[in-house]
Amino acid sequence: MDDQSILTTLKILIIGESGVGKSSLLLRFTDDTFDPELSATIGVDFKVKTITVDGNKAKLAIWDTAGQERFRTLTPSYYRGAQGVILVYDVSSKQSFTQLGNWLNELETFSTKHDIVKMLVGNKIDKDQCGVKSYWLQDQCDDRREISRDEGLKFARKHHMLFIEASAKTKEGVQCAFEELVEKVSKTI
Amino acid sequence: MSNSCSLLTSISSSPNTVWPRVPPVHPSGEQKEQQDGSAKEELSTKEDNGTKDNKDQAECCSVAWQDMMSVENDFPSRTHCLSRWYGLHNFIVLSPGPQMDEITTESRLNLLLSSVTIALNNTGCQTPIFVQAHQKWRKLFYGRSEFPGFSTNYEMVHLKTVPQQYSHLAGLLDVFKAKLSSPVSPAPPVSVTVRFTYLLQDWVHYGWPQAPPDFDSNSDIGFTDFGDLPFGACEDPVSELHLSATWPSLSEEMIVEDDVYSDLDPLQAPHWCIRVRMTDSPTCLLGDFLLDFVQLCRKTESTNQLLSKSLLSPTSETDVDVSQALSRLTEPAPIPLPSLGTVVTSATSKLAMKPEEAPIPNDLLNKILLFLFPDAKSDAMDVDKVDTGHGGASDDMSSSKSDSSQTLNEQSKEMFKQFKSAPVDSLPYRLAVCMCIINHSYGGVRAVAHLWQEFVLEMRFRWENSILIPDLAAGSPNMGCSLLFQKLQMLNCCIERKKAHEALQSESSTPSNDILASTPMEVDTEDNKKEQKECSTSSDEEEFFECVESSDEASVPPRDTSIGGGGDAKLRRRRSKRAMDAEKRRSSMKQKSDDDQSLLEESDTPSFTDTLTHQPEGRLRPYNDLYLLNIPGEQLYVPITQEPAPMTEDMLEEQAEVLAKLGTSSEGAHLRARMQSACLLSDMEAFKAANPACTLGDFVRWYSPRDWVEEETVDDTGKVTVKGQLSQRMQIPGNMWLEVWQSAKPVPCRRQRRLFDDTKEAEKVLHWLAAMKPADVATRLMPMSVHAAIATIIAQGENHLPSLQTLLGQITMKATQAMRAPHMDCHRFEELMNKLAQAEMIITRAQSLHTKFNEERHDVDISDDALSSFVSTLLDQPEVDIVGAARGPLGIIIQRLFATAQKSAGLFNLSEDERDGEEYTSRSSGSSDFPTPVGKEYILRTTVPRPAPWSRPSPQRMYCVLLKDDFRLAGAYSTDTTFQ
Repeated sequence: MDDQSILTTLKILIIGESGVGKSSLLLRFTDDTFDPELSATIGVDFKVKTITVDGNKAKLAIWDTAGQERFRTLTPSYYRGAQGVILVYDVSSKQSFTQLGNWLNELETFSTKHDIVKMLVGNKIDKDQCGVKSYWLQDQCDDRREISRDEGLKFARKHHMLFIEASAKTKEGVQCAFEELVEKVSKTI
Repeated sequence: MSNSCSLLTSISSSPNTVWPRVPPVHPSGEQKEQQDGSAKEELSTKEDNGTKDNKDQAECCSVAWQDMMSVENDFPSRTHCLSRWYGLHNFIVLSPGPQMDEITTESRLNLLLSSVTIALNNTGCQTPIFVQAHQKWRKLFYGRSEFPGFSTNYEMVHLKTVPQQYSHLAGLLDVFKAKLSSPVSPAPPVSVTVRFTYLLQDWVHYGWPQAPPDFDSNSDIGFTDFGDLPFGACEDPVSELHLSATWPSLSEEMIVEDDVYSDLDPLQAPHWCIRVRMTDSPTCLLGDFLLDFVQLCRKTESTNQLLSKSLLSPTSETDVDVSQALSRLTEPAPIPLPSLGTVVTSATSKLAMKPEEAPIPNDLLNKILLFLFPDAKSDAMDVDKVDTGHGGASDDMSSSKSDSSQTLNEQSKEMFKQFKSAPVDSLPYRLAVCMCIINHSYGGVRAVAHLWQEFVLEMRFRWENSILIPDLAAGSPNMGCSLLFQKLQMLNCCIERKKAHEALQSESSTPSNDILASTPMEVDTEDNKKEQKECSTSSDEEEFFECVESSDEASVPPRDTSIGGGGDAKLRRRRSKRAMDAEKRRSSMKQKSDDDQSLLEESDTPSFTDTLTHQPEGRLRPYNDLYLLNIPGEQLYVPITQEPAPMTEDMLEEQAEVLAKLGTSSEGAHLRARMQSACLLSDMEAFKAANPACTLGDFVRWYSPRDWVEEETVDDTGKVTVKGQLSQRMQIPGNMWLEVWQSAKPVPCRRQRRLFDDTKEAEKVLHWLAAMKPADVATRLMPMSVHAAIATIIAQGENHLPSLQTLLGQITMKATQAMRAPHMDCHRFEELMNKLAQAEMIITRAQSLHTKFNEERHDVDISDDALSSFVSTLLDQPEVDIVGAARGPLGIIIQRLFATAQKSAGLFNLSEDERDGEEYTSRSSGSSDFPTPVGKEYILRTTVPRPAPWSRPSPQRMYCVLLKDDFRLAGAYSTDTTFQ
């Protein structure tokens, strides 16, 4: 099984506003766990996972970045050489969505590959239900969805990105997001 | 027979030979040829081959005849000679293999030909088969083709001289008719197609745009010589122009050409076409320079090996030598501003080169350095060293250059966007161009080594004297640029920081004593231990960072405290260094040293103690309208923070590798976070200093606002209160943020430990530069050289040439790949340079042709575009038709080209007294504008019954070509085999 195909190493990047769940997505993908008490990333973090896409094994070197403004002087250095990028926003935070343009600019400026494959992930769709049982209480629920699926899809289309909605908490869409990205990346090399 | 007749078989065919034949639009272009050169077959096997053609029998019954008689296939521009001579598209050639004897005897030839005939008859193959006889170079082919009821003989006559009586149409017609010996009388008329080819070789009257540079004159080297890569061919890349005038399908009665009279005036010819012959690989400057330069990448010699011979004493440690050189410079008391003159002197004195053995003579070196570092000139007060005349010239050049680069930028911005080189006209870019020129014209690899050494010295000089390197993009290293560019940017970052410290030092005219970074004595003791290292103390552990923007009074700069602790030698060195500095700085420096004194006296001042009641320090600006959580009404301030450390891509790679090596375990992740928390700690400390009595909540609201969760609660009275708290993840006990926050002391930015050690980084860069061998230098300069070369090519403005466009597309793609490859690969660059040379050749050819046509243009009604597109077709296609022949606009221009050449040839041939201007001017429009044709071709065709009067008529054809020393008749004579 190990010899069945050549192992390629792909550099994948995860970016997005702070607190949108970048590290949680990664943790869900690599360890299939969810830790609500994951501390805020400092600088960049790094994880490795080997996956099989289309019968080809690929070793993913995934760089997880801190979303804080201040770290943005530091983290873009790691954009170099990335073949795929996962751009994350929080469906329950309008602000994390409106900032996406800035992140794309950042990517444009610092990534060295011009054909980098981009995947937009709307995280935290588990919050959609937000546990409110009565209709009249919905308005008072802070955590409800602020960005519809359509909005996300539109943005992704406009900027030629793959798109998926996911939840690191419920596992929904996470595996799929990474696999689709890798599939597209392996087609571009 | 099987042995001796083993023959090479080649089959030629063209796709458009299906009956009924559609006249091909461009017979020359579509004619395809398959040469089965390697197949060695015996005649017997050949017969099997022929049977394959049987099935086509019905279709291509008279393909050979059609080909023979079709005027479409007359004078194809590029094809097999048999196709040219017999007009055939499909044929089979038998020729002796490489080891075989040539067929020299007639009996052997006839034996073969009769075998061929039998084979053709047996197989029913209608494709003509040829046998090559005699020496290969004579290209003598005899052949047969069979067609039910008919057979065609292909015969050939080849002579080295043209017999006088057959040098014209009349004579050739006689030969043709005699050969046919038509049994009917009068013989049917012969149709004649004639083509005369005229040669134009004399281009002396057309200014060749490229003036070959004079490399021998060392005296008059302008600065432009180093700024632009040379371009162009040293010789005219266009050698000949052939004009072919064609008279197609005339009846023999209509034209007369014999010994004394000729109807064939090229001006009257209905059809003209021209072809140009190019000089085989003319010497082109750009290609030459580039290929020479790329060869440099393969050299293995080190700088020392190359230069040691010319050095008086081997250079030992650079640092020591430089400082000696510097102190030597400072001996005369009043030193002017650091001019390049002094730089150069210091450098050369350091190298201690025997003047006569230095690869680059001193005055030339000065000019080059001045070109590379133009900023040294503006400071220069030393007029002796810097020639003002040259200075002016360089000014002109730089202005005109920026203009041209501007237009160039617009054109090729997109193209260069992906290039990982350096901006146009930046220092590395100019260095690359300069090195390329130095290597080619001023001494090769030794000169490159020499100039590089000087360059590295200049870099060190600039670092030690805090003079910014000119013409580099400001800011952190741009990773979209080549590594060399990044390294120089890095050095500039270091210099900038160093300047910032120095500025802070010098402005400390009224030093405040309340806040001191540490006691100077402490620093001194630390420093003494490391005294031998370097005079600068900045690499010291105890070093503190001084903030640029600080409006507060500067603390005592540790740098200066070393004066007290350092020995005499150190002081002297510092002094000498200082003396190097600008005049305008001198006064302040003097003042400062006084201050130093006073500071030293006050060194007993107690050190700073961290208390909660400390005064706020290092505030940048109020942050929005946020107030501290603990102290209502107290404004939250954004602190002044340290700039992140600039990094070059190799440093980053190293760091990424280290981080990745920590693995993916939670310990690894923790360690990784800790490693990167230095910046966080520094920011927290600055924040604490700026906001006394702040909490992590305050910090988070500034630093990571999304980790401050606010909730609106409505109390019983209906009053809405906003309650905020740290996000869940920030509240986890023992998380890194909390941990760092707890360990952070309130320290303003300027007293923090530096995140970026400019001295260390500068030394690293300087070491990197100094360790490069000439080959490494060349390799590192490759991206810029390629970039400059492409820019040079684009600047020629010939981009409309289709062949150039394709080539440039390829070059750009390959260049981008080569520049972005993790390792600079000489092979790839060599390939690129070859392609660039090719592009240069295309351009020089186009330019040469364009100039020639343009000079005879005068009043001819032809647009620039039409002329340009004509030139580009001439480059792309072997032969170009002239619309309207002699009467078309291009025809007129071509006629003038010939006339000018003829006129000068005539004048040249006349002796002085015979020269009569009138005669020549009056004849200028006559056909005497043309020289005698270098080649005459005739195709005679007729259809006559042979061999008997009752035979059916069959096509007959004779092709004649008359060159200066080559006379060839190729006849295809058909006979009726049924009615004979």
